[in-house]
Order: sequence, then structure tokens, then C-alpha cells
Amino acid sequence: MKIFAKLAGSVVLAGSMAATAVMAQDDQSITTVVKITGEGWFVRMDEGVKAFDTEHDDVTAVQVGPAQADAAQQARIIEDLVAKGVSAVAVVPMDPSALEGVLRRAQQRGIKVIAHEGDSIVNADADIEAFDNAAFGRRINDGLAECMGGEGKWTSFVGSLGSLTHNIWADAGAESAAANHPGMELVAAKNESFNDANKAYEKAKEILRAHPDIKGFQGSSAIDVIGIGRAVEEAGLVGKVCVFGLGLPKDTGPYLESGAVNRIYFWDPKDAGYVMNVVSKKILDGEEITDGMDLGVPGYNSVKVSQGPGKGIIIQGEAWVDVGKDEYKNYPF
Amino acid sequence: MPHIADRQSVFLALINVIVLVAGALLAGSNFVDSYNLQIMAAQVPELGLLALGVTLAMISGNGGIDLSGIALANLAGITAFLIARQILVPADAPMTFAWTFAALALCVGVIGGLLNGLMIAFAGLTPLIATLGTQLLFTGISVWLTNGSSVSLGYIQPLDDFGNLPVLGVPLCFTLFLLVAGLVGYVLRCTPFGVKLTLLGSNAKAARYGGIPARRMIVTTYTIAGILASIAGIVIASRNASVKWDYGSSYVLIAILIAVLGGVKPEGGYGRVLSVLLAATALQILSSLFNFLGISNFFRDLAWGVLLLALLASARIDLSLWLRPAR
Repeated sequence: MKIFAKLAGSVVLAGSMAATAVMAQDDQSITTVVKITGEGWFVRMDEGVKAFDTEHDDVTAVQVGPAQADAAQQARIIEDLVAKGVSAVAVVPMDPSALEGVLRRAQQRGIKVIAHEGDSIVNADADIEAFDNAAFGRRINDGLAECMGGEGKWTSFVGSLGSLTHNIWADAGAESAAANHPGMELVAAKNESFNDANKAYEKAKEILRAHPDIKGFQGSSAIDVIGIGRAVEEAGLVGKVCVFGLGLPKDTGPYLESGAVNRIYFWDPKDAGYVMNVVSKKILDGEEITDGMDLGVPGYNSVKVSQGPGKGIIIQGEAWVDVGKDEYKNYPF
Repeated sequence: MPHIADRQSVFLALINVIVLVAGALLAGSNFVDSYNLQIMAAQVPELGLLALGVTLAMISGNGGIDLSGIALANLAGITAFLIARQILVPADAPMTFAWTFAALALCVGVIGGLLNGLMIAFAGLTPLIATLGTQLLFTGISVWLTNGSSVSLGYIQPLDDFGNLPVLGVPLCFTLFLLVAGLVGYVLRCTPFGVKLTLLGSNAKAARYGGIPARRMIVTTYTIAGILASIAGIVIASRNASVKWDYGSSYVLIAILIAVLGGVKPEGGYGRVLSVLLAATALQILSSLFNFLGISNFFRDLAWGVLLLALLASARIDLSLWLRPAR
């Protein structure tokens, strides 16, 4: 019988640990599901979600995400949230098409679905884009082209070939370079970093070996510039190679200081997390979101609303920020 | 031996019940309502099928393991869909399309499994190395076929029904999983093949002198593991309406974890399907419970580790002394 006592004991233990997690009953519950927990970007997003939660007493807003960046685990989390019966799911999809099935079932159960960075999702009530992705890609490439003087070999990085937005930025950058700077030659385009700074570093080292005369890098995942910057620093090419791309001020800071990374482009995930919850609440309350509406979050003061691929809408802000060595300290994340 | 085995199943069944009860108490009645039970049941087959493949490989001994399961599952889904799309239009004959898709996926599974078996039995490679190699090969082919993007199947009703529709309260894919598990269990326990496989796993030398055709057995075993992986691929495709090369990249280790939790001996010669099945459901219920309670997914890994260590420890200690009535 001891075994029963042991098991009962462990249940009590687990119970006491979990009891703190059981939340008070609120009118509405909005759960933000991110690609991976613990990464700088999503830690900052969590700040926005928490801010929304404290400012709205009638809403429980929390953020969850898998421990490993795996579309399968993200889909399972959403399935469990559907079974739990939350009011709305705000998701930053790992791979939009892998979630269509589970999001359709969520909607069938009356749960509102809000996506961020997933404008191809059919089964969502709304998708929020921080900005026009093609314009963002062009913006990064314009900076890169200026630094390179419009000439020389350059390459692009993406988190993975399945990450929709990364590919749009890289493609728009390539188009812009081809159209405006005939002297720029794109080599070994769209290297996958798998959202891992070490892999970006190794890929960048390979490229520096294969193309010793390369002059520019355009990164897409927030850690791409870190890995590339490290490789550039080690190769002693600071100042000779231009590194531009999505990045987080705090993580990229040392490389901006050393000059290994020239300029980073981003949008504030805190605002994105907050605005996802704003939109979720509006949709739950039955409010319509219209063109030019002010969502009360910086960069989303006059949003563009268009029809999405399904029944839902796409909401587009102008929430981009870009900083170099001098300004990055203004953004403490 | 048999009564220890039974105790293991009872132990795992108890864990299932305890986690379910804990879930009902902690997470509210939503946790044990029919919808969540169906959701949980529908989530089990993907990993369960892969774990069964690992189980078979482990039983066969000689350091048997199958690391290529999820890679083969994804490859099966991708190849089958790309070919089926060439010869049929899903919207015209969804049912025919679904069956063609399934048949093609199974073919890929057979080929992939056969390749594993041949590498191990005839090229004499260690299963760990051979299946690591084929894992990379299968992944590589998948990336090459799809350029690394996911391929959306669109809404194909028979497949979607198979992945999600409950019939008599049980999701179809779970029913299939139970049938497959039952079949594997029957083969292991009640057929000459199963008996020989157990003998081969316990003592390869003795088995060879006893006239057991070791190579053929190994090839067959890994081929079955390949078929199980391709069934997992069908389940994945129908549940997600899309296929991608890196789907379930975390499954390799979880499948091994389930097999070991289920009491399969990594050194070979022993494993029971019922225990593996119960281990798979226990992990599923636990992981759903954590999602319900909003507990960090990092903590889940920790809990699984503790569970594994506890079970391994309990297998090493002779429980019969404790369970005997007080003297």
C-alpha cells in the first residue's frame, strides 16, 4: 500500500504547486500563444500581455508557449486551450498552415482567434501586422544599400524558409536591391538560422569563407544579426561588412557598440502583445474595427484594415522602429 | 516475470487515473468533460505510434532504437501528398484521394523501414547510427521536395474527419491507434514472430544457434517500425491539414521516453504494448493538464524527467517485498 501513499503524496505536492496557477474567474480570458517561451522577443511581448492584464480587471490575459520551437507543440497547446474554453486565443504562429485545422475547431467552439504575423491564416477573426511587410523589407535593404554604397555582394538570412514574414522581408529586399542598385549582387540568398544565434554564426562564417569579398548581410530573425555580427567581429571585418536586419536593442547592443552590426530594425513586441489583446477584447465585445481606427497603442494610432484570406480582417499598423549605435538605449528590451 | 509486468501496467494505469483525478480537481470539470477527453485522445496517436516503433526496435536487441520515426512520418506525408496531388484532384473525389494518400504514405513507410532494416541487418551498422543517418536522409529529402516550406493540404473532408471526428465518442485516429497497438501486441505475444523477436533481443547468440533467422527478423522489425511511422505521418497530415519536414522535431526523444516509461528494456528482449500505450496516455494527460493550468512548458519537461526516473527506480527495486501483506 506504500505505493499508493507515495502516489497520493506526489499528487498533493503537484496540487499545491498548481493551485497557485489556478486563476480567479473573470468574465473574459484571452491567452496569447507565442512561438517559444523564454526568448527575449517573447519575454518582452509578455510584458505587454501582463500590462493589458493589470489594466483590465474584467479580463484575464496570459501568455503561454512551447519550450521548444515546434509547430506540433504549439498546435497542442492551442487544442488544450480550446478544450479549456478560453474566450479568445491570440497566436503568433510558428507555421500558419500547421495551425489551420486547430484554429478552425477553435472557431467552431465559439472562440475568437487573433493572429499576429500570420496574414495567410484563413481561420482567424483578425490578423495584426505591425506594418506592411514588403515595405519593411525594402526599408532594411535601403539602409544596407546605403552602407554598401550600392555595390558589392550581399546575402540574406531567414529564421526558416517556412517563416512567412521573414521570406517577404528577404524577397522585398532582394527586389528592391535588384531594381535600384544594379551594382549589388545577391549571393547564397535566404540562409536559414532556425532562430538560433549559433546557427546564424556558423552560417555567416561559412559565407565569409565562401565569399571573402562579401559586403553586406540582411537578417530577418531577431538573432540573425547577433550571429552574423559575431562572425564579422571574429573575422576582423568590422566596418568593412555592413550588417542590417531585425534585432533587439538589448541583445544586439554590444554588436552595435563595436560596429559589427550597423543598424537594427524592429517593432516593439510589447506593443504587439498589448495590441493583440486590445483587438481580442474589441472582437469579444462585438466592436467593429474600422479603417483609420486608433487602437491606443503607439504605432497603431491609425490602422489600415483590409479583408484577410478568410472571413477575418487584417489590421496593419505603422509600428516600425529602427535604431543604430546612438539610439538603441532608448529601448530597454 | 509476468507478475512484475502486470504490476507495471497497473502502476501506469494508476498514474493515468491519478493525473485525471488531479486534473478534475485542479483544472475544473472542463478537464474531464467529453470534449477534452476526445482532444487528448486525438493527440495521443502521433506520439504513440512512433513510440510503438521505438518499442519494436528496442525489443529486437543489439542496441535497437529508431531515431528516424518522425522524419519518416513527415517524409511519408509529404511524398504521399505530392504524388497524390499529381494523379488526383482532392476536391473531385475526396474519399479516393484520402485512400490513395494513405496507401502512398504506407508505401513510403515500408521503403523507409526496409532501408533501416537492411542497413542494420546486412550492412552491420549499429541501429543508433543507421537510424540517425536515415533520419538525416529522410529529413533532407523532405526539405528538398518542399524547399523547406510547409505544404498545405487544404480542407479534405475524409482526412479531416479521420483526424478529428469522434465516432461513438472516440476520435477515429485514436480508434486506429488502439487497433494498431492491439495488432502489434498480439504479434509480439501470440505469434512465433513475436516469441522469436523476444528471444533474439534477450540473447542474440543463443537465438542464432537456435536457428532464428536474425537478419530477416531485424529487417521485418524495422519495416514494421517504418509502417508505424508512416501511419503517424497520415495522422499528422490529417490532423494539421498540412505537412512539413520539421513538424514534431521534439518527438524523437519523447517517443523514446514513452517506450522507456512503458517498461521496454533498452537492452532488448522485453517490452509490453499495453504498458507503452498507458505511458503514452499518461504523458498526454499530464501535458494537457499543464496546459490547462498554464504551467510553463519547461516545467513539463522537468515533470517528465522525474516520472521517468521514478519509474526506472521502481523497476530496479523489488516491489513484491513491499506489497506483501504485513507480516
